[in-house]
Amino acid sequence: MIVLKDVTFSYAGIKALSHISLQILAGESVALLGANGSGKSTLLKLLNGIVSPDHGTYHFGDDEITHKKLQNTTFAKKFHQRIGFVFQNSDTQLFCTSVYDEVAFGPRQMGCDEAETKKRVDDCLALLGIQAFAERTPYHLSGGEKRKVAIASVLSLNPEVLVLDEPMNGLDPRTERWLVAFLDQLNKAGKTIITSTHNLALVQEISHRSILFGEDHTIVADLPTEELLTQADLLKQVNLVDATYHVHADSHHHHYHMHYTHGDHENGFLK
Amino acid sequence: MINDDINQNALPQWLIKTEAYAPSRDSAPFIQKSIITLLRILSRIHAQNAKAHIIQANPVIKMLYTFLFVLLLSMTGSLSFVAIAVVYQLAVLSLMRTEVLLGVVKVSLGVALFTFIVLLPTIFYGNFYSMQMILPKVFAAVVAVNLLSHTTRWNELTASVKYFHVPDLFIFVLDITIKYILLLGEFSLHMLYAVQLRSVGKNRNKVLSFSGIGGTLFLKSREMAEDMVAAMTCRGFSGEYRVYTKYRFRKMDALYVLIMALFVLLFIYT
Repeated sequence: MIVLKDVTFSYAGIKALSHISLQILAGESVALLGANGSGKSTLLKLLNGIVSPDHGTYHFGDDEITHKKLQNTTFAKKFHQRIGFVFQNSDTQLFCTSVYDEVAFGPRQMGCDEAETKKRVDDCLALLGIQAFAERTPYHLSGGEKRKVAIASVLSLNPEVLVLDEPMNGLDPRTERWLVAFLDQLNKAGKTIITSTHNLALVQEISHRSILFGEDHTIVADLPTEELLTQADLLKQVNLVDATYHVHADSHHHHYHMHYTHGDHENGFLK
Repeated sequence: MINDDINQNALPQWLIKTEAYAPSRDSAPFIQKSIITLLRILSRIHAQNAKAHIIQANPVIKMLYTFLFVLLLSMTGSLSFVAIAVVYQLAVLSLMRTEVLLGVVKVSLGVALFTFIVLLPTIFYGNFYSMQMILPKVFAAVVAVNLLSHTTRWNELTASVKYFHVPDLFIFVLDITIKYILLLGEFSLHMLYAVQLRSVGKNRNKVLSFSGIGGTLFLKSREMAEDMVAAMTCRGFSGEYRVYTKYRFRKMDALYVLIMALFVLLFIYT
Protein backbone atom coordinates (compact mmCIF):
# COMPACT_ATOMS: atom_id res chain seq x y z
CA MET A 1 0.00 0.00 0.00
CA ILE A 2 2.83 2.40 0.91
CA VAL A 3 6.24 2.07 -0.70
CA LEU A 4 9.14 4.45 -0.14
CA LYS A 5 12.34 3.99 -2.10
CA ASP A 6 15.54 5.75 -1.07
CA VAL A 7 13.69 8.84 0.13
CA THR A 8 15.73 11.82 1.31
CA PHE A 9 14.33 15.09 2.61
CA SER A 10 15.92 18.23 4.04
CA TYR A 11 14.51 21.40 5.63
CA ALA A 12 16.50 24.30 4.15
CA GLY A 13 19.67 22.22 3.95
CA ILE A 14 19.17 20.47 7.31
CA LYS A 15 18.70 16.74 6.73
CA ALA A 16 15.51 15.27 8.21
CA LEU A 17 15.26 11.95 6.33
CA SER A 18 18.16 10.06 4.80
CA HIS A 19 17.80 7.19 2.32
CA ILE A 20 14.54 5.83 3.71
CA SER A 21 13.20 2.70 2.02
CA LEU A 22 10.20 0.89 3.45
CA GLN A 23 7.01 -0.88 2.54
CA ILE A 24 3.80 -0.87 4.56
CA LEU A 25 1.04 -3.29 3.62
CA ALA A 26 -2.71 -2.67 3.94
CA GLY A 27 -4.00 -3.64 7.37
CA GLU A 28 -0.62 -3.43 9.12
CA SER A 29 -0.07 -1.59 12.38
CA VAL A 30 3.32 0.06 12.31
CA ALA A 31 5.09 2.17 14.92
CA LEU A 32 7.86 4.63 14.13
CA LEU A 33 10.34 4.80 16.98
CA GLY A 34 13.29 7.08 17.44
CA ALA A 35 14.79 9.83 19.55
CA ASN A 36 13.61 13.43 19.23
CA GLY A 37 14.61 14.94 15.90
CA SER A 38 15.31 11.58 14.25
CA GLY A 39 12.80 12.24 11.43
CA LYS A 40 9.63 10.42 12.55
CA SER A 41 7.32 13.43 12.28
CA THR A 42 8.87 14.43 8.95
CA LEU A 43 8.20 10.95 7.59
CA LEU A 44 4.57 11.22 8.70
CA LYS A 45 4.30 14.60 6.95
CA LEU A 46 5.78 13.05 3.83
CA LEU A 47 3.35 10.12 3.95
CA ASN A 48 0.50 12.65 4.11
CA GLY A 49 1.80 14.72 1.21
CA ILE A 50 2.55 17.81 3.30
CA VAL A 51 6.16 17.65 2.16
CA SER A 52 7.58 15.85 -0.89
CA PRO A 53 10.87 13.92 -1.15
CA ASP A 54 13.98 15.74 -2.38
CA HIS A 55 15.17 12.40 -3.78
CA GLY A 56 13.60 8.96 -4.06
CA THR A 57 10.02 7.93 -4.67
CA TYR A 58 6.84 7.54 -2.63
CA HIS A 59 4.04 5.29 -3.89
CA PHE A 60 0.61 5.15 -2.26
CA GLY A 61 -1.37 2.30 -3.77
CA ASP A 62 -0.83 2.47 -7.52
CA ASP A 63 0.05 6.17 -7.53
CA GLU A 64 3.39 7.83 -7.16
CA ILE A 65 2.91 10.79 -4.84
CA THR A 66 4.82 13.79 -6.13
CA HIS A 67 4.60 17.51 -5.52
CA LYS A 68 3.37 17.97 -9.09
CA LYS A 69 0.61 15.38 -8.71
CA LEU A 70 -0.54 16.97 -5.47
CA GLN A 71 -1.02 20.25 -7.36
CA ASN A 72 -3.88 18.48 -9.13
CA THR A 73 -6.65 19.21 -6.62
CA THR A 74 -8.82 16.25 -7.64
CA PHE A 75 -5.93 13.84 -7.11
CA ALA A 76 -4.88 15.53 -3.86
CA LYS A 77 -8.40 15.36 -2.43
CA LYS A 78 -8.80 11.65 -3.16
CA PHE A 79 -5.35 11.04 -1.67
CA HIS A 80 -6.16 13.02 1.49
CA GLN A 81 -9.43 11.12 1.87
CA ARG A 82 -7.57 7.79 1.77
CA ILE A 83 -4.95 8.73 4.36
CA GLY A 84 -5.93 10.59 7.53
CA PHE A 85 -3.49 12.43 9.77
CA VAL A 86 -3.94 13.07 13.49
CA PHE A 87 -1.51 15.84 14.45
CA GLN A 88 0.65 15.80 17.56
CA ASN A 89 -0.86 19.08 18.74
CA SER A 90 -4.65 18.73 18.58
CA ASP A 91 -5.05 22.51 18.90
CA THR A 92 -3.64 22.98 15.43
CA GLN A 93 -6.03 20.45 13.96
CA LEU A 94 -9.29 21.85 15.25
CA PHE A 95 -10.50 24.95 13.46
CA CYS A 96 -14.32 24.83 13.57
CA THR A 97 -16.55 26.53 16.08
CA SER A 98 -18.22 23.37 17.43
CA VAL A 99 -17.26 19.74 17.83
CA TYR A 100 -20.18 18.73 15.59
CA ASP A 101 -18.98 21.00 12.76
CA GLU A 102 -15.44 19.77 13.26
CA VAL A 103 -16.42 16.14 12.71
CA ALA A 104 -18.90 17.08 9.97
CA PHE A 105 -16.25 19.04 8.02
CA GLY A 106 -14.94 15.97 6.18
CA PRO A 107 -18.29 14.37 5.19
CA ARG A 108 -19.62 17.77 4.06
CA GLN A 109 -16.48 18.20 1.96
CA MET A 110 -17.11 14.84 0.37
CA GLY A 111 -20.55 16.00 -0.65
CA CYS A 112 -22.50 13.77 1.76
CA ASP A 113 -26.05 15.04 2.31
CA GLU A 114 -26.93 16.33 5.78
CA ALA A 115 -28.62 13.04 6.80
CA GLU A 116 -25.50 11.02 5.90
CA THR A 117 -23.26 13.65 7.52
CA LYS A 118 -25.31 13.50 10.72
CA LYS A 119 -25.11 9.71 10.76
CA ARG A 120 -21.33 9.79 10.36
CA VAL A 121 -20.89 12.48 12.99
CA ASP A 122 -23.19 10.73 15.47
CA ASP A 123 -21.42 7.40 14.87
CA CYS A 124 -17.98 8.93 15.34
CA LEU A 125 -18.99 10.88 18.45
CA ALA A 126 -20.55 7.72 19.94
CA LEU A 127 -17.54 5.62 19.03
CA LEU A 128 -15.23 8.01 20.80
CA GLY A 129 -17.65 8.67 23.67
CA ILE A 130 -17.83 12.42 23.10
CA GLN A 131 -21.52 12.88 22.22
CA ALA A 132 -21.90 15.25 25.18
CA PHE A 133 -19.43 17.73 23.63
CA ALA A 134 -21.15 17.99 20.25
CA GLU A 135 -22.08 21.65 20.65
CA ARG A 136 -18.98 22.74 22.58
CA THR A 137 -16.08 24.74 21.18
CA PRO A 138 -13.15 22.36 20.54
CA TYR A 139 -10.59 24.85 21.83
CA HIS A 140 -12.04 24.80 25.34
CA LEU A 141 -11.97 21.02 25.78
CA SER A 142 -9.33 19.17 27.80
CA GLY A 143 -6.25 17.65 26.11
CA GLY A 144 -7.72 14.12 25.99
CA GLU A 145 -11.08 15.37 24.71
CA LYS A 146 -9.39 17.42 22.01
CA ARG A 147 -7.42 14.35 20.91
CA LYS A 148 -10.67 12.38 20.65
CA VAL A 149 -12.30 15.15 18.59
CA ALA A 150 -9.23 15.27 16.33
CA ILE A 151 -9.45 11.52 15.77
CA ALA A 152 -13.21 11.70 15.15
CA SER A 153 -12.70 14.53 12.63
CA VAL A 154 -10.33 12.32 10.65
CA LEU A 155 -12.33 9.10 11.05
CA SER A 156 -15.45 10.70 9.58
CA LEU A 157 -13.58 10.75 6.25
CA ASN A 158 -13.29 6.95 6.52
CA PRO A 159 -9.61 6.82 5.53
CA GLU A 160 -7.91 3.53 4.71
CA VAL A 161 -4.75 4.59 6.51
CA LEU A 162 -4.70 6.41 9.83
CA VAL A 163 -1.48 8.21 10.68
CA LEU A 164 -0.98 9.45 14.25
CA ASP A 165 1.89 11.64 15.40
CA GLU A 166 2.74 10.96 19.08
CA PRO A 167 -0.90 10.23 19.94
CA MET A 168 -0.17 9.40 23.59
CA ASN A 169 1.50 12.73 24.37
CA GLY A 170 -0.19 14.60 27.17
CA LEU A 171 -2.89 12.02 27.80
CA ASP A 172 -3.77 10.70 31.23
CA PRO A 173 -3.24 6.94 31.76
CA ARG A 174 -6.94 6.13 31.36
CA THR A 175 -7.28 7.99 28.04
CA GLU A 176 -3.98 6.44 26.97
CA ARG A 177 -5.41 2.95 27.60
CA TRP A 178 -8.59 3.92 25.79
CA LEU A 179 -6.64 5.05 22.74
CA VAL A 180 -4.59 1.83 22.67
CA ALA A 181 -7.77 -0.23 22.66
CA PHE A 182 -9.39 1.98 20.05
CA LEU A 183 -6.45 1.80 17.64
CA ASP A 184 -6.45 -1.97 18.04
CA GLN A 185 -10.16 -2.04 17.24
CA LEU A 186 -9.62 0.04 14.09
CA ASN A 187 -6.71 -2.14 13.00
CA LYS A 188 -8.76 -5.28 13.46
CA ALA A 189 -11.45 -3.69 11.28
CA GLY A 190 -8.89 -3.48 8.48
CA LYS A 191 -7.48 0.02 8.84
CA THR A 192 -3.76 0.52 8.40
CA ILE A 193 -2.39 2.28 11.47
CA ILE A 194 0.91 4.17 11.42
CA THR A 195 1.95 5.73 14.71
CA SER A 196 5.02 7.62 15.80
CA THR A 197 5.71 7.29 19.49
CA HIS A 198 8.28 7.40 22.27
CA ASN A 199 6.10 5.35 24.56
CA LEU A 200 7.87 1.98 24.74
CA ALA A 201 5.45 0.77 27.40
CA LEU A 202 2.56 0.90 24.94
CA VAL A 203 4.20 0.45 21.56
CA GLN A 204 3.76 -3.31 21.62
CA GLU A 205 0.02 -2.86 22.01
CA ILE A 206 -0.45 -0.38 19.19
CA SER A 207 1.80 -2.03 16.61
CA HIS A 208 2.90 -5.39 15.30
CA ARG A 209 5.89 -3.95 13.51
CA SER A 210 8.28 -1.19 14.51
CA ILE A 211 10.61 0.93 12.44
CA LEU A 212 13.50 2.38 14.43
CA PHE A 213 15.09 5.67 13.36
CA GLY A 214 18.67 6.54 14.15
CA GLU A 215 19.93 10.00 14.98
CA ASP A 216 21.43 10.15 11.49
CA HIS A 217 17.82 10.11 10.14
CA THR A 218 18.13 6.63 8.62
CA ILE A 219 16.17 3.48 9.42
CA VAL A 220 18.27 1.43 11.83
CA ALA A 221 15.88 -1.50 12.28
CA ASP A 222 12.57 -2.75 10.92
CA LEU A 223 11.39 -5.64 13.10
CA PRO A 224 8.33 -7.10 14.78
CA THR A 225 7.72 -4.81 17.78
CA GLU A 226 8.09 -7.65 20.29
CA GLU A 227 11.52 -8.48 18.90
CA LEU A 228 12.69 -4.88 18.65
CA LEU A 229 11.88 -4.20 22.29
CA THR A 230 14.31 -6.92 23.33
CA GLN A 231 17.16 -5.24 21.42
CA ALA A 232 18.26 -3.10 24.34
CA ASP A 233 21.63 -2.30 22.80
CA LEU A 234 20.05 -1.11 19.59
CA LEU A 235 17.61 1.14 21.45
CA LYS A 236 20.50 2.56 23.50
CA GLN A 237 22.54 3.09 20.35
CA VAL A 238 19.89 5.40 18.89
CA ASN A 239 19.56 7.20 22.23
CA LEU A 240 15.96 6.16 22.69
CA VAL A 241 16.58 4.57 26.09
CA ASP A 242 19.22 4.81 28.78
CA ALA A 243 21.07 2.14 30.74
CA THR A 244 18.11 1.43 33.04
CA TYR A 245 15.95 0.11 30.19
CA HIS A 246 14.76 -3.48 30.52
CA VAL A 247 11.97 -5.80 29.40
CA HIS A 248 10.24 -8.51 31.34
CA ALA A 249 10.72 -12.11 30.33
CA ASP A 250 6.98 -12.28 29.76
CA SER A 251 6.55 -9.53 27.21
CA HIS A 252 2.77 -9.61 27.46
CA HIS A 253 2.62 -7.94 30.83
CA HIS A 254 0.22 -5.02 30.98
CA HIS A 255 0.95 -3.27 34.23
CA TYR A 256 2.67 -0.12 35.34
CA HIS A 257 5.39 -0.72 37.86
CA MET A 258 8.50 0.71 39.46
CA HIS A 259 11.69 -1.02 40.49
CA TYR A 260 13.35 0.17 43.64
CA THR A 261 16.63 -1.69 43.22
CA HIS A 262 18.96 -2.11 40.29
CA GLY A 263 20.30 -5.45 41.47
CA ASP A 264 17.68 -7.47 39.72
CA HIS A 265 18.80 -6.40 36.25
CA GLU A 266 21.51 -7.84 34.10
CA ASN A 267 22.56 -6.61 30.65
CA GLY A 268 19.48 -4.46 30.44
CA PHE A 269 17.11 -7.36 31.10
CA LEU A 270 15.24 -8.45 34.22
CA LYS A 271 16.78 -11.53 35.73
CA MET B 1 -7.73 -5.36 25.67
CA ILE B 2 -8.17 -4.17 29.18
CA ASN B 3 -10.84 -1.54 28.90
CA ASP B 4 -14.11 -2.48 30.55
CA ASP B 5 -16.09 0.67 29.97
CA ILE B 6 -14.88 1.80 26.57
CA ASN B 7 -14.94 0.60 23.02
CA GLN B 8 -18.15 -1.24 23.61
CA ASN B 9 -19.53 0.34 20.47
CA ALA B 10 -18.87 -1.70 17.37
CA LEU B 11 -17.50 0.20 14.40
CA PRO B 12 -20.29 1.41 12.09
CA GLN B 13 -20.59 -0.31 8.72
CA TRP B 14 -19.58 2.77 6.68
CA LEU B 15 -16.30 2.92 8.58
CA ILE B 16 -15.42 -0.67 7.77
CA LYS B 17 -16.11 -0.40 4.03
CA THR B 18 -13.60 1.17 1.66
CA GLU B 19 -14.82 4.59 0.63
CA ALA B 20 -15.90 4.79 -3.02
CA TYR B 21 -15.30 8.50 -3.31
CA ALA B 22 -14.48 10.47 -6.42
CA PRO B 23 -13.78 14.14 -5.63
CA SER B 24 -15.32 16.82 -7.79
CA ARG B 25 -13.15 19.53 -9.30
CA ASP B 26 -12.67 22.60 -7.17
CA SER B 27 -10.50 25.54 -8.02
CA ALA B 28 -8.94 25.61 -4.60
CA PRO B 29 -5.36 26.77 -4.79
CA PHE B 30 -6.48 29.30 -2.14
CA ILE B 31 -5.25 27.18 0.78
CA GLN B 32 -2.13 26.22 -1.15
CA LYS B 33 -1.35 29.87 -1.81
CA SER B 34 -1.89 30.78 1.85
CA ILE B 35 0.43 27.95 2.91
CA ILE B 36 3.13 29.01 0.46
CA THR B 37 2.90 32.66 1.56
CA LEU B 38 3.10 31.73 5.22
CA LEU B 39 5.96 29.31 4.57
CA ARG B 40 7.85 32.05 2.74
CA ILE B 41 7.47 34.47 5.65
CA LEU B 42 8.43 31.85 8.22
CA SER B 43 11.43 30.62 6.27
CA ARG B 44 12.59 34.25 5.98
CA ILE B 45 12.41 34.67 9.74
CA HIS B 46 14.19 31.32 10.20
CA ALA B 47 16.78 32.24 7.59
CA GLN B 48 17.41 35.43 9.56
CA ASN B 49 18.92 33.25 12.24
CA ALA B 50 20.78 30.94 9.87
CA LYS B 51 24.48 31.53 10.25
CA ALA B 52 25.17 31.49 6.50
CA HIS B 53 23.84 35.03 5.93
CA ILE B 54 25.14 36.66 9.05
CA ILE B 55 28.15 38.98 8.90
CA GLN B 56 30.01 38.48 12.15
CA ALA B 57 30.44 42.07 13.28
CA ASN B 58 29.29 44.18 16.19
CA PRO B 59 25.60 44.93 15.49
CA VAL B 60 25.95 48.37 17.10
CA ILE B 61 28.69 49.30 14.63
CA LYS B 62 26.67 47.79 11.77
CA MET B 63 23.70 49.88 12.82
CA LEU B 64 25.78 53.06 13.19
CA TYR B 65 27.36 52.39 9.80
CA THR B 66 23.95 52.00 8.11
CA PHE B 67 22.56 55.06 9.90
CA LEU B 68 25.58 57.18 8.92
CA PHE B 69 25.44 55.93 5.33
CA VAL B 70 21.75 56.84 4.96
CA LEU B 71 22.33 60.19 6.69
CA LEU B 72 25.24 61.18 4.42
CA LEU B 73 23.37 59.96 1.38
CA SER B 74 20.31 62.06 2.15
CA MET B 75 22.37 65.16 3.03
CA THR B 76 24.69 65.14 0.03
CA GLY B 77 24.15 67.37 -2.96
CA SER B 78 26.91 65.72 -4.95
CA LEU B 79 25.98 63.44 -7.78
CA SER B 80 29.44 61.80 -7.63
CA PHE B 81 28.90 60.83 -4.00
CA VAL B 82 25.52 59.32 -4.85
CA ALA B 83 27.03 57.43 -7.79
CA ILE B 84 29.86 56.04 -5.64
CA ALA B 85 27.36 55.06 -2.93
CA VAL B 86 25.19 53.15 -5.41
CA VAL B 87 28.20 51.39 -6.96
CA TYR B 88 29.50 50.53 -3.49
CA GLN B 89 26.14 49.04 -2.41
CA LEU B 90 25.89 47.02 -5.62
CA ALA B 91 29.43 45.74 -5.05
CA VAL B 92 28.55 44.66 -1.49
CA LEU B 93 25.36 43.09 -2.79
CA SER B 94 27.29 41.04 -5.34
CA LEU B 95 29.18 39.38 -2.46
CA MET B 96 25.95 38.10 -0.90
CA ARG B 97 24.33 34.70 -1.37
CA THR B 98 21.86 34.42 -4.24
CA GLU B 99 18.72 34.37 -2.09
CA VAL B 100 19.84 37.47 -0.14
CA LEU B 101 20.80 39.21 -3.35
CA LEU B 102 17.44 38.47 -4.98
CA GLY B 103 15.49 39.44 -1.88
CA VAL B 104 17.28 42.78 -1.47
CA VAL B 105 17.19 43.67 -5.18
CA LYS B 106 13.48 42.87 -5.39
CA VAL B 107 12.55 45.15 -2.48
CA SER B 108 14.95 47.92 -3.50
CA LEU B 109 13.79 47.99 -7.12
CA GLY B 110 10.19 47.94 -5.95
CA VAL B 111 10.72 50.97 -3.73
CA ALA B 112 12.74 52.72 -6.47
CA LEU B 113 9.93 52.10 -8.96
CA PHE B 114 7.39 53.54 -6.55
CA THR B 115 9.62 56.63 -6.08
CA PHE B 116 9.94 56.93 -9.84
CA ILE B 117 6.15 56.96 -10.23
CA VAL B 118 5.83 59.57 -7.48
CA LEU B 119 8.52 61.74 -9.10
CA LEU B 120 7.21 61.31 -12.63
CA PRO B 121 5.30 64.65 -12.67
CA THR B 122 8.55 66.55 -11.93
CA ILE B 123 9.93 65.47 -15.32
CA PHE B 124 7.00 67.14 -17.04
CA TYR B 125 7.96 70.34 -15.25
CA GLY B 126 11.53 69.94 -16.55
CA ASN B 127 13.04 69.06 -13.18
CA PHE B 128 15.41 66.21 -14.08
CA TYR B 129 17.70 66.91 -11.15
CA SER B 130 15.23 65.52 -8.56
CA MET B 131 14.89 62.32 -10.51
CA GLN B 132 18.68 62.01 -10.93
CA MET B 133 19.36 62.54 -7.24
CA ILE B 134 16.41 61.08 -5.37
CA LEU B 135 15.99 57.84 -7.30
CA PRO B 136 19.56 56.49 -6.76
CA LYS B 137 19.54 57.85 -3.21
CA VAL B 138 16.37 55.89 -2.38
CA PHE B 139 17.73 52.76 -4.07
CA ALA B 140 21.09 52.87 -2.23
CA ALA B 141 19.44 53.64 1.14
CA VAL B 142 16.95 50.77 0.80
CA VAL B 143 19.75 48.38 -0.21
CA ALA B 144 21.79 49.45 2.84
CA VAL B 145 18.92 48.95 5.29
CA ASN B 146 17.97 45.62 3.70
CA LEU B 147 21.55 44.40 3.85
CA LEU B 148 21.64 45.28 7.54
CA SER B 149 18.43 43.32 8.14
CA HIS B 150 19.64 40.31 6.11
CA THR B 151 23.10 40.11 7.63
CA THR B 152 22.20 40.68 11.28
CA ARG B 153 20.14 38.51 13.62
CA TRP B 154 16.97 40.23 14.76
CA ASN B 155 17.68 39.63 18.43
CA GLU B 156 21.10 41.31 17.96
CA LEU B 157 19.49 44.24 16.20
CA THR B 158 16.92 44.74 18.94
CA ALA B 159 19.57 44.37 21.66
CA SER B 160 21.87 46.87 19.94
CA VAL B 161 19.26 49.65 20.05
CA LYS B 162 19.98 49.73 23.79
CA TYR B 163 23.10 51.79 22.91
CA PHE B 164 20.79 54.39 21.40
CA HIS B 165 19.05 54.75 24.77
CA VAL B 166 15.94 52.84 23.82
CA PRO B 167 14.30 51.57 27.06
CA ASP B 168 15.01 47.93 27.97
CA LEU B 169 11.34 47.14 28.32
CA PHE B 170 10.71 48.35 24.78
CA ILE B 171 13.51 46.06 23.52
CA PHE B 172 11.98 43.19 25.45
CA VAL B 173 8.56 43.81 23.86
CA LEU B 174 10.22 43.89 20.42
CA ASP B 175 11.97 40.58 21.07
CA ILE B 176 8.81 38.92 22.33
CA THR B 177 6.84 40.25 19.34
CA ILE B 178 9.30 38.71 16.87
CA LYS B 179 9.33 35.43 18.80
CA TYR B 180 5.54 35.22 18.86
CA ILE B 181 5.18 36.14 15.18
CA LEU B 182 7.24 33.02 14.53
CA LEU B 183 5.44 30.81 17.06
CA LEU B 184 1.95 31.84 16.00
CA GLY B 185 3.02 31.69 12.36
CA GLU B 186 4.05 28.07 12.79
CA PHE B 187 0.84 27.37 14.67
CA SER B 188 -1.29 28.84 11.89
CA LEU B 189 0.77 26.96 9.29
CA HIS B 190 -0.13 23.68 10.98
CA MET B 191 -3.78 24.74 11.07
CA LEU B 192 -3.61 25.43 7.35
CA TYR B 193 -2.14 21.95 6.85
CA ALA B 194 -5.08 20.53 8.82
CA VAL B 195 -7.58 22.39 6.63
CA GLN B 196 -5.74 21.24 3.51
CA LEU B 197 -5.65 17.58 4.58
CA ARG B 198 -9.35 17.52 5.35
CA SER B 199 -10.39 19.62 2.34
CA VAL B 200 -11.15 16.55 0.30
CA GLY B 201 -14.05 17.98 -1.65
CA LYS B 202 -15.67 21.18 -2.82
CA ASN B 203 -15.24 23.68 -0.04
CA ARG B 204 -17.89 26.35 -0.41
CA ASN B 205 -17.04 27.88 2.92
CA LYS B 206 -13.31 28.46 2.67
CA VAL B 207 -13.72 31.81 4.40
CA LEU B 208 -15.45 30.07 7.31
CA SER B 209 -12.48 27.72 7.79
CA PHE B 210 -10.16 30.69 7.77
CA SER B 211 -12.23 32.60 10.29
CA GLY B 212 -12.00 29.46 12.46
CA ILE B 213 -8.21 29.59 12.17
CA GLY B 214 -8.25 33.28 13.05
CA GLY B 215 -10.43 32.67 16.10
CA THR B 216 -8.31 29.78 17.36
CA LEU B 217 -5.16 31.79 16.75
CA PHE B 218 -6.57 34.64 18.82
CA LEU B 219 -7.44 32.28 21.67
CA LYS B 220 -4.04 30.63 21.43
CA SER B 221 -2.20 33.95 21.51
CA ARG B 222 -4.17 35.03 24.56
CA GLU B 223 -3.42 31.73 26.28
CA MET B 224 0.28 32.01 25.42
CA ALA B 225 0.37 35.60 26.69
CA GLU B 226 -1.26 34.58 29.97
CA ASP B 227 1.16 31.65 30.33
CA MET B 228 4.12 33.91 29.69
CA VAL B 229 2.98 36.48 32.24
CA ALA B 230 2.54 33.66 34.77
CA ALA B 231 5.99 32.24 33.97
CA MET B 232 7.61 35.66 34.24
CA THR B 233 5.86 36.42 37.51
CA CYS B 234 7.00 33.07 38.89
CA ARG B 235 10.57 34.03 38.03
CA GLY B 236 10.30 37.32 39.88
CA PHE B 237 9.33 39.75 37.08
CA SER B 238 7.84 42.93 38.50
CA GLY B 239 7.93 45.33 35.55
CA GLU B 240 11.70 45.92 35.51
CA TYR B 241 13.72 44.36 32.70
CA ARG B 242 17.39 44.74 31.84
CA VAL B 243 18.98 43.83 28.54
CA TYR B 244 22.54 42.58 28.93
CA THR B 245 24.78 43.01 25.94
CA LYS B 246 28.46 42.23 25.64
CA TYR B 247 30.24 42.93 22.38
CA ARG B 248 33.91 42.58 21.47
CA PHE B 249 35.67 44.64 18.82
CA ARG B 250 36.52 42.35 15.90
CA LYS B 251 38.43 42.64 12.63
CA MET B 252 35.19 43.04 10.71
CA ASP B 253 34.26 45.97 12.97
CA ALA B 254 37.49 47.71 11.96
CA LEU B 255 36.50 47.30 8.32
CA TYR B 256 33.11 48.88 9.00
CA VAL B 257 34.78 51.81 10.80
CA LEU B 258 37.21 52.26 7.91
CA ILE B 259 34.37 52.33 5.35
CA MET B 260 32.49 54.82 7.54
CA ALA B 261 35.56 57.08 7.67
CA LEU B 262 36.02 56.85 3.90
CA PHE B 263 32.40 57.85 3.29
CA VAL B 264 32.71 60.81 5.67
CA LEU B 265 35.85 61.98 3.79
CA LEU B 266 34.09 61.43 0.48
CA PHE B 267 31.12 63.45 1.72
CA ILE B 268 33.39 66.34 2.70
CA TYR B 269 35.50 66.39 -0.47
CA THR B 270 32.84 65.80 -3.16
